[in-house]
Amino acid sequence: MPRQRPRTTMTEPATDALRESLEKYIGQPMGPPSTAPDPVNVPMIRHWVDALDDRNPVYLDADAAAATRFGEIVAPPAMLQAWTMPRPKIAGIAERGGAPDDIVSDNPIVPLDEAGYVGTLATNSELEFERYLKVGDQLHVSTKVESISQLKTTSLGKGYFLTWVYTYTSGDGDVVGRQLFRIFKFDPSTIDPAMLAGAS
Amino acid sequence: MSANPAERLVAKDVCVGDELPPFSLPVTSTVIVSGAIASRDFMPAHHDGEFARSQGAPDMFMNILTTNGYVSRFISDWAGPEAMIRKIAIRLGAPAVPGQPLRFGGTVTHVFTEASECVIEVAVRAANDMGDHATGTVVVTVPAA
Repeated sequence: MPRQRPRTTMTEPATDALRESLEKYIGQPMGPPSTAPDPVNVPMIRHWVDALDDRNPVYLDADAAAATRFGEIVAPPAMLQAWTMPRPKIAGIAERGGAPDDIVSDNPIVPLDEAGYVGTLATNSELEFERYLKVGDQLHVSTKVESISQLKTTSLGKGYFLTWVYTYTSGDGDVVGRQLFRIFKFDPSTIDPAMLAGAS
Repeated sequence: MSANPAERLVAKDVCVGDELPPFSLPVTSTVIVSGAIASRDFMPAHHDGEFARSQGAPDMFMNILTTNGYVSRFISDWAGPEAMIRKIAIRLGAPAVPGQPLRFGGTVTHVFTEASECVIEVAVRAANDMGDHATGTVVVTVPAA
């Protein structure tokens, strides 16, 4: 994994055949919608609070939380994605490159991998919270491909920026949060060592 | 690590240009693994140094959920239990790896009142010896008074 974010030095002036074949994915889901395996619950909140040593009392202290605008215990906002993480198959996870299961969705990552753009680097995350989650909230998540860049030449070689958005809803269908996520899918064989050395 | 959430930050306590109390996280394998598992992220790169190195990383590295969690904690340790974080938008750079402390800093860039709430925008940065790990913007609201 490269140590720095990619710096773009050139954008191809026109589209290419691979990029054209990816156009059909824009606006489509990255995979099927899913439901959190468990509703928002205190044991998972406690695990997170201890792991990150986050002592904001609204996450575990019912009395303290009752005295705030929240009125009751709420989950740490950054846990949003944790609730809907798929249940992992631990056996073979390294061989699958870290994928939690062997379900392959029809999304732009598949053709990019097949074309040699096997490198993946996360570049941006934008979380938005409509409200904090309460114990018992049952989350659902759906995804949508927002954009795919033209072919870029960067300090990490040639590749495409792929952006998608997660939309989180609670049981009654109201949107509770969103996350925009952008990755750079690149061809590791095109990295110019001179440019990488110059990256800072 | 000391977490000492502010009693209750309100509008009159905040000005553009205010610096948040800096925070340095001593990143260890335990810190990285604890965050990964608490966020239910079982990717080997977040708990297995050998696997991470085989993928070209310098060592196991922090997952993005954990980074967002520490950014959230950095903000609410300052803004207190009445604070509600509305947005965490970050650009990701150098990985957070064991042995390299992550230094968090923040500066208030905008303050305005909206619907009896004080909306605060903070420019945040978390950096280690390799460079910027995460830089971006957090929007948080606190009571107007």
